[in-house]
Amino acid sequence: MEKILKEALIRQLEKETRRNFLKGSFMGLGGLALGSMMGCSSGSKTANNIFDPQNPLAPQSPHFAPKAKSVIYLHMAGAPSQLELFDYKPELAKLDGQDCPQSFLEGKKFAFIRGVPKMLASQAVFKQHGQSGALISNYLPHLSTVADDLSFLKAVTTDQFNHAPAQLLMQTGSARLGRPSMGSWVTYGLGSENNNLPAFVVLTSGGNNPDAGKSVWGSGFLPSVYQGVQCRSEGDPVLFIKDPNGISRDIRKASIDAINEINQAEFKEYGDPEILSRISQYEMAYKMQISAPEVMNINSEPQYIHEMYGTKPGKTSFANNVLLARKLVENGVRFVQLYDWGWDTHGTDAGGAIDIGLINKCRGVDKAITALILDLKQRGLLDETLIVWGGEFGRTPMAENRDGKPNAFKGRDHHAEAFTMFMAGGGIKPGVSHGETDELGYSALAGKVNPHDIQATIMNQLGFDHEKLTFDFQGRSFRLTDLEGKVVKELVG
Amino acid sequence: MSFQRYFVGAFLMLGLYSCSVFEEKIDYSSQVKPIINKNCITCHGGVKKQGGYSLLFKEEAFAKGKSGKIGIVPGNAAGSEFIRRLTLSDPEERMPHEKDPLSSDEINILTKWIDQGAEWEQHWSFVPVQKQEVPQVSNDWAKNDIDKFIFENAEKQGLKTSAMAPKEDLARRAALDIIGFPATDKTKALFLKNNQYETYVDSLLSSPAYGEKWTSMWLDMARYADTKGYERDAGRNIWRYRDWLINAFNADMPYDQFLKEQIAGDLFPEPTENQLIATAFHRNTMTNDEGGTDNEEFRTAAVLDRVNTTWETLMGTSFSCVQCHSHPYDPIRFEEYYKFLAFFNNSRDEDTYSEYPVLRHFDEKQRADLTRVDSWLAKTVSANEKKELVNFLKTLQPSHNSLKCDEMVNAALADTKWLAMRNNSSARLKSVNLEGKTNLIMHFKVYVKGVFEIKTGGLNGKTVGSYKLSPEKDKGAWRTIELPINATSGVNDLFFTFKSPELKDPNVNGIMFDYFYFTKGLPKNSPEDQMVFWNLLNAQVEQTPIMLENPADFSRKTRIFERGSWLSQGNEVSAAVPAALGKLPEDAPSNRLGLSLWMTSKENPLVARTMVNRVWEQIFGMGLVETLEDLGSQGAVPTNQALLDHLSYKFMNDYKWSVKKLIKEIMLSATYQQDSKLTPEGLEKDPSNRYLARGPRVRLSAEQIRDQALVISGVLNTKMYGPPVMPYQPEGIWNSPYSGDKWLKSTNEDQYRRAVYTFWKRTSPYPSMMSFDGVGREICVSRRIRTNTPLQALVTLNDSVYVDLSVKLANKSLSLAKNNFQESIKKAYVFATGKEIKKEKFDILLKLYQNTLTLYKKTPNKSKELLGDSNPELAALVLVCNSILNLDEVITKS
Repeated sequence: MEKILKEALIRQLEKETRRNFLKGSFMGLGGLALGSMMGCSSGSKTANNIFDPQNPLAPQSPHFAPKAKSVIYLHMAGAPSQLELFDYKPELAKLDGQDCPQSFLEGKKFAFIRGVPKMLASQAVFKQHGQSGALISNYLPHLSTVADDLSFLKAVTTDQFNHAPAQLLMQTGSARLGRPSMGSWVTYGLGSENNNLPAFVVLTSGGNNPDAGKSVWGSGFLPSVYQGVQCRSEGDPVLFIKDPNGISRDIRKASIDAINEINQAEFKEYGDPEILSRISQYEMAYKMQISAPEVMNINSEPQYIHEMYGTKPGKTSFANNVLLARKLVENGVRFVQLYDWGWDTHGTDAGGAIDIGLINKCRGVDKAITALILDLKQRGLLDETLIVWGGEFGRTPMAENRDGKPNAFKGRDHHAEAFTMFMAGGGIKPGVSHGETDELGYSALAGKVNPHDIQATIMNQLGFDHEKLTFDFQGRSFRLTDLEGKVVKELVG
Repeated sequence: MSFQRYFVGAFLMLGLYSCSVFEEKIDYSSQVKPIINKNCITCHGGVKKQGGYSLLFKEEAFAKGKSGKIGIVPGNAAGSEFIRRLTLSDPEERMPHEKDPLSSDEINILTKWIDQGAEWEQHWSFVPVQKQEVPQVSNDWAKNDIDKFIFENAEKQGLKTSAMAPKEDLARRAALDIIGFPATDKTKALFLKNNQYETYVDSLLSSPAYGEKWTSMWLDMARYADTKGYERDAGRNIWRYRDWLINAFNADMPYDQFLKEQIAGDLFPEPTENQLIATAFHRNTMTNDEGGTDNEEFRTAAVLDRVNTTWETLMGTSFSCVQCHSHPYDPIRFEEYYKFLAFFNNSRDEDTYSEYPVLRHFDEKQRADLTRVDSWLAKTVSANEKKELVNFLKTLQPSHNSLKCDEMVNAALADTKWLAMRNNSSARLKSVNLEGKTNLIMHFKVYVKGVFEIKTGGLNGKTVGSYKLSPEKDKGAWRTIELPINATSGVNDLFFTFKSPELKDPNVNGIMFDYFYFTKGLPKNSPEDQMVFWNLLNAQVEQTPIMLENPADFSRKTRIFERGSWLSQGNEVSAAVPAALGKLPEDAPSNRLGLSLWMTSKENPLVARTMVNRVWEQIFGMGLVETLEDLGSQGAVPTNQALLDHLSYKFMNDYKWSVKKLIKEIMLSATYQQDSKLTPEGLEKDPSNRYLARGPRVRLSAEQIRDQALVISGVLNTKMYGPPVMPYQPEGIWNSPYSGDKWLKSTNEDQYRRAVYTFWKRTSPYPSMMSFDGVGREICVSRRIRTNTPLQALVTLNDSVYVDLSVKLANKSLSLAKNNFQESIKKAYVFATGKEIKKEKFDILLKLYQNTLTLYKKTPNKSKELLGDSNPELAALVLVCNSILNLDEVITKS
């Protein structure tokens, strides 16, 4: 028995070695294997970390058959008001302008509300749409037309009411910096289908990065190869992907060939498999240089597509990013994360007013999101592409009164206790509305869902048991959903 | 993945199979503990105690569970419930619950261990370092004791050690390891021409570049950054700490002193400015400027971070899990986390915008003024009062930050950082000691005329002071003034009111406060000296955040956080170290200074081992314990514990904590000097070079890649120290909300400073360094994991920095080769690799040169785009140089 296993092991090692095998350096696997072969020192280090540093993006299978192949996550940074968009509250209109009930304020903390604020009616007009009768306001006229493709989570709660920590919680599972983002976990678990494109792409619009900065797509304690790659509509779509001025494509090809030839010679001399790995990375870099700009160029899309999305090539806009996202998932990118900044409607100025600025922000996304759903559908991709829409928290049914005085415009403060998100495609049951808030939209009453549940659900659609995709760090196994997270069964069918 | 799982299983079986053959004494640490950790501890350990039974601590394991039966009876496995439960057939009763039963080999080990007396050992890394017997190895290969340990270990693995590396490889390797980039020809000649390897190593160790290289390593551990972190991530001035590190490494400050100053420099008697700057180590925690955040929450987050960083980076123990529950695998109890936290909970910082306390850096004239104030005070007040006032000038402490105010009416914390008051407003500042105080010095700004009053006992209580304040010319500028207060005894809550009839709009702020400092005040003689004092106090000077301990009347109590949440605080605790690791040395004060003495005592089992392991990892690419961050029972198994202990013992006793001596000993070993070529046998038996039967061969770090390219192309600016610089980075990388901060490209020579001086923004670190596995420095990361990705290739191929350096390298080579292009290729290669080019490689580069030249000649525009002038020959050479900078042998240490 021992002999046979040993032989099998060595044969396997040989095979893997030819194919750049150096797994042991991180996972403890090599050490474990050798320890077992040589004597009694079987290692205590668990082998939970599932990647090969020499080929960290090799495609991997998830835990079970996935419903969705890729995710397009539309994060409205700043937190859109659910009360103006999806959470219809006629009772709130009746209390408009009256003092907020004490029960809403006792023991509560708000970012800016002080003293006793006034209740504030929704500024939008609501109607039911489609077969499902989904409530969508007149702020989103296009989206209303695809109401039956959407599924709403009406009672999302979080425990953070400041932007940066709340965004981190939503995207990394922890309100503190330093944890890997959802896209990083997915990339760690799935690897990459398309070596010519980054595996996890981030697109930002609205003039600013999200409040929590690049950490919301950082890889935390996972190797940095899993971090999101920010692609841009202006300048190089991926940093350093463009050939420098004066270096043409054929010159670049000649130089990469020469580099790799010399590296081959180096391998002959030193025998280090990492050299072979480097050779393949340079080949991939070259391929990426060719295909990434192509995929990331929306100019070549037909006119009707531009009209459908409302895109204007050459500018940075959410609509451009949405179209780009479609092209990326079409080309095998697993996780596309969009951040649109500017949804923080406090009412301190017109741009941040729920009856002015918010309408403009909605105009900027309404058509594009609707187009994305229709476009994916017509390409037969909606079933395998999960679309997630939401902010990092919601907004108060009370008008903000910064430092105790009414704000100059109509606005709402940050609110962690209830807000709305929606999902579409990717195996999500369409036309569902899950969860409800009280009659003023202040707290979640039923069907509460928190960021860890959202994460668990997204992972589930991708074929992962969120409790089992782990990484050992600082002495314990970490996972995206920390110690929590339940798949939202009502949505996954 | 499934394949890997299968194989792990297979290996384990194999390991146990071979183990079961031996009839020998069972070893707790290497045989028993791993089985318990893997199968039992999740339910019967730090987090949970199912059935009232835990296997984490000896007294728990040897005690009764809920069932009333004793778990482990030493010497009597048959009578031990622990063993019985492993073998039952009823799945409800059999352990591990709802999991596969243990293998008979595993049960066998546990049974034998109990029958042999159930000797409960400490995990090796929790036992103080002992002097090691050096293995008796006699051969020609070994050069020093390190080699004897390595040789013996390699032999056990069936590996043959390697011969010495080619001299050029070794010269380059040593320089990269010691100073972070290739040495000059002159320095290299010591070894290459004169054959004096040791002198060469000495010369590298005495180069100022040594300190910069090793500081780069320390900055990840210190989570050093030039910004505060969180949403706004605004700039922070803390580079003097980085310079302190460079100097400390260069001066070879003994490692024990190095730690003492960083942990507790402020608590030294009469600390020097440098010792205060050293404490900025723990001021690299993040500060949150986002409006609406809770200052106490983020102060607490910083304290927790200090605790976790101290353990992880300096003592190789994962501690953060103990925040919520007893350590799941190592004998550290939940309460002990908070006892340890108490050491750090009494520093003066409170998440203020200005990051108080700070050390204020005066210029030469101001220093002279300070001396004048000092001698004036020496003549007029007591030594203690003088010290207080001078310390206040230097650090603005101990002051009450206005963000501690509460019970605000018509007042608020503006941006959550400063107390802002309107007409007819009030606020409270709790627990202020006014005993013996006669004056208030406050930092504030006032926009309108108004009356500010301070009372005790309530809003209508006894008046401490009543002041008419009015704005100066520069309305609304921060200033500092002194006001007399009425004699008040003891500790009081202070009630502030502000009235200003001028303020017609009830919603407009009239006054805003930063801090309040209560004092005996300045002597009233010599108005000139008083003026000097005030000028110094109001001077805008550069400042560095430092640690300062709370005086007794500011001190905070430390309480346990139930389930790790700072919002639910439990019993009060006082400062202590975990019992499993001894106690503070006798006579050591129960504060950070005492803590630093405990850490650096020779009895501390973790500190020397952690540093030796880290130095080893920097040089060989992998630690003797792979998990630098965890030497505990859940960390990796040491590949050579005897060697780690041998070096740790020597580090403390023979080298007197000298890091340079430690590095030199490693450099002089045959182990280090081995050739790094892999044989098929070596690849099969030890693919990741754990047993070091060959020399290290690893990709360079992000910093080394940049620094080396600067040196190769001849543009490195060796200027040391000072504020961080901003070398080229593509447009639009920084886009932080609520922050006008911009990446302002540094001018000229500052473009070419070493990586260690590059501005580090936490939410947006320098992109090319991140591609090469740099870390964000939000929290400490004690180990970078090396990856190999196409994005790295894109950096060195296309980043303007590397294109620019390729042009520089081409010009440098060309001028040395007297405009002979073929010769230039050879020169460029020598600059990059330190050795002559082989014909095979030269031919490849020559072919590249010729092909490229043809292309550039066809399209002369292209060379103009590259160089600014049309010059196909030079353009082709630039391409060759760019390729050289990308060679594996250049970005790898062989």
